[in-house]
Amino acid sequence: MPAGALNRERDVREAYSAHAGELYGFAMRSLGDAGLAEEAVQETFLRAWRAGKRFDPEIGSLRTWLFAIIRNVVIDLGRARAARPGVAKEGIEASVEPIEESLLAWQVEEAMRRIGDQHRRILVETYYRGRPYAEVAADLGIPVGTVKSRVYYALRALRIALEEIGYED
Amino acid sequence: MKTDNCREWRESLGAYALGQLGDDERHRLDAHLEGCPECRAELEQLSALSHPMSLADPARFEATPTPPPSLAAQVAAAVGAERRRERRRRTGFGLAFGGAAAAVATVLVLLVLPGEEAPGPEEHVDFGSLPGKVKISAKLIPNSFGTEIHMYVKGVSSGTLCRVYLRSRSGETLSAGTFRYRWGDGSYPILSSALDLSKTDAMEVRVGRHAYFARVGGPEQDET
Repeated sequence: MPAGALNRERDVREAYSAHAGELYGFAMRSLGDAGLAEEAVQETFLRAWRAGKRFDPEIGSLRTWLFAIIRNVVIDLGRARAARPGVAKEGIEASVEPIEESLLAWQVEEAMRRIGDQHRRILVETYYRGRPYAEVAADLGIPVGTVKSRVYYALRALRIALEEIGYED
Repeated sequence: MKTDNCREWRESLGAYALGQLGDDERHRLDAHLEGCPECRAELEQLSALSHPMSLADPARFEATPTPPPSLAAQVAAAVGAERRRERRRRTGFGLAFGGAAAAVATVLVLLVLPGEEAPGPEEHVDFGSLPGKVKISAKLIPNSFGTEIHMYVKGVSSGTLCRVYLRSRSGETLSAGTFRYRWGDGSYPILSSALDLSKTDAMEVRVGRHAYFARVGGPEQDET
């Protein structure tokens, strides 16, 4: 039995403490509904428990494995919701939210929460709000060149934070 | 070629990757990139972020949703129920094949189980005769977290997505999860719903695009 496998209920509790917050955050982001997000997290840990012996820490982290499971759970729940009476249509598959995009969006949002305030702020002002460097520089009381270098260091920090939470190009 | 002023160029790469450089500066940086593979590699890494960044919603950068504290207990209860079920299934399997060790294990489990589980009246739900030789039945077991559902499905294509819902007397419908029916697989899906069995009025199973209903605690069933 590989070390780190989810073989005991205690392992599941530990995995829950370590990862449930992120899993819930991703499920909320993708499903947009607290009840469904809870259901997704519960189903993820149940599936993880059932397949616990197949988890091999040599291959990847527990976190990566749980995210692979919740990705499928969210797809299933999204389809189930799309097929509920009232919204049921032909072509259920097509109405499913693109899961890869919602995973990427969630990863960026999570990474943004992990980088420093200064880094996040410079990206919000210049990229998301599209404000000119000169204006941002005046606001922050720094030279324009510093705005530019901050954008660079913020992107580096964002990239590292993304990689830490499993982002791959 | 990496030069002493590489750092200066590098600090412009973020602005370049996000399309924030003016034309003049971009042309000068292009000339540097032409001869500097390190800066090109760095630019590639940063440029890869522009698509994911475009998907993100800055309104979500500050607050992170947290799961309700009760979810930990729900998950623990669901996993605990699953563990007990696995044990019952294993011992059932052992008896069927007549192993002496398994028989001993069964006796032990029979001794241990009654104290561990709160026995309640189970409900057997049969969906009756359905079109196209489809057969569906379920066993519903009351549990502290809600209702545990053992599903039996036959006569549908392998790989068909099945979705299960329970409806309460007050008309609220709660999902009990999903599974895929597989041919030749002796296992059966075990699902759970937060709805108490005592409050459950009906059950709905959606098999592919067909929906089947059965009253819980009664023989009526219909199809839409």
